[in-house]
Amino acid sequence: MTARSVVARSSSDPSSGAGIAALGDAWTRFWFGPVDSRPLALVRIGAAAIALVAWWSYAADLQAWFGPAGILPADAMREWRSPCGFSLFDWAASPVALTVLFGATGVVLALLLVGFTTPVVAPLAAVLWASLLHRGPMLAGPADDCLSILLWCLAIGPAGEHFSFDSWLGGRANRSAPRPGWRASISQGLLQVHATAIAAAAVLAQFKGDVWWNGLAAWYLAASPRSGAGDLLPLLERSEYLTNLFTHGVTAFEIFFAIGLWCGPTQRFVARIGLIGWPLVGLLAGEPVWGLAMALFALPLAVRR
Amino acid sequence: MSKPLDNPTPSPVTQAAVTVALAVYLLGLVLSIVGDSASGSSSLVRTIKGRLFAPWMVPAWLDLGFDYRLTYGNDEEGDYGLEVRRHGDAQTAPLRLPGRATGERAARWRRLARSIAVEDSDRDGLLAAAVGRGMFDDVDGEDVIVRVLRTPLVDRGGPPRPPVQASSARVRMVEGELQLIRAEPRGEVAPLVRPDADSDTSDRGAADAVEAAQ
Repeated sequence: MTARSVVARSSSDPSSGAGIAALGDAWTRFWFGPVDSRPLALVRIGAAAIALVAWWSYAADLQAWFGPAGILPADAMREWRSPCGFSLFDWAASPVALTVLFGATGVVLALLLVGFTTPVVAPLAAVLWASLLHRGPMLAGPADDCLSILLWCLAIGPAGEHFSFDSWLGGRANRSAPRPGWRASISQGLLQVHATAIAAAAVLAQFKGDVWWNGLAAWYLAASPRSGAGDLLPLLERSEYLTNLFTHGVTAFEIFFAIGLWCGPTQRFVARIGLIGWPLVGLLAGEPVWGLAMALFALPLAVRR
Repeated sequence: MSKPLDNPTPSPVTQAAVTVALAVYLLGLVLSIVGDSASGSSSLVRTIKGRLFAPWMVPAWLDLGFDYRLTYGNDEEGDYGLEVRRHGDAQTAPLRLPGRATGERAARWRRLARSIAVEDSDRDGLLAAAVGRGMFDDVDGEDVIVRVLRTPLVDRGGPPRPPVQASSARVRMVEGELQLIRAEPRGEVAPLVRPDADSDTSDRGAADAVEAAQ
């Protein structure tokens, strides 16, 4: 259909023209309506804290994995990963260089946590984090994926305007208080879109497995040595109904979360449920850091006034 | 004077540019979910994603499928661990990983072990060879066995099951060249037909290598 035919149809059918205009307004309101950046600052603190935990999990084995005599040499990883993959860590050819770059990543994440020079360290943290993951892609898990998204969202928005060293310095220099802005809106919009996409993709993937239909998935999750819900096992073994309830509860929660985030009346309630629900699902699945990272996606909507 | 990025609303030009960028990114997000599904993807999606989106989404670690199924209850999802020992050394205890490590650190070792076990055939044992080569110093030898052990999931009401071997490979350095000899599961090894046992030494060599790796 050409642009002209769209115009012609719009002019002959006022309702469709109004619909397009309403859609445009909704798009503009959602992405560009000024919003307070305080929720984004909370996401910054949470994401940086979780990223530091995930970063630290590399520390003890850093040289054993990525060192010059390590088990994951850079040339083998370049061959193993996607041809588009790229890692700054590939250039760290000596143990000292690797330690320095890894240490610098930790420093950047710590600066992001306290909110010092945030406009610089937020994009730097996203780049360094992606680089670290590309250095050994097979070591990365779902929490790392979510952290990557969170860090890029923080890089876009003004994540250091509140609860930060930057804002403290700004106050001392008598700078005017930050106003709600459109960049915070884009960051928080992207967090909302990703929260939905991840929950929807996860629930669709689960529905391809029998255990999510016959209600036994919760058993297999809790019975895994990785699970943090091993104490539930005797209960689940005693009652099949309870096992079914937990299983269907997880999928119902994910559907409820993916849809409810977009309905005005339920939005804040669903987001607050997400703050509790995702860490519990993460604990059950043996991915507690992932559960916490998922909760961060819901944080802006849960605390929005 | 405030900077354009600090204004509460963007200028029309900025708004148009950002709208285009958002639309492109959202399309990339959809394609990455569709294209990274465990169920596979169509050639069309793979081509569009690979040519237009992967070059900038992959380096940023944004080309993600998010298909976190958590479990299908299959044995393949059991707990994975790595075991490395010097070939022919039955006395020394093998190096076991993740060992006593816990949390995310242990999870990364388990993911590595799983990746070795389920490595694509087109990667041709690249990971197992790299891990074996990297372990030469740890086991004090240039001929090692790299095994991945999988602890299968426990059925509801069933007894705990012992770990099973998910993969095994012998990695050794011969005259400066790294060799990888995979141990194929016994069911997948074709029967050796030797009409004349004395005539075919190469077949016997191959069979010996498989046995050695196991």
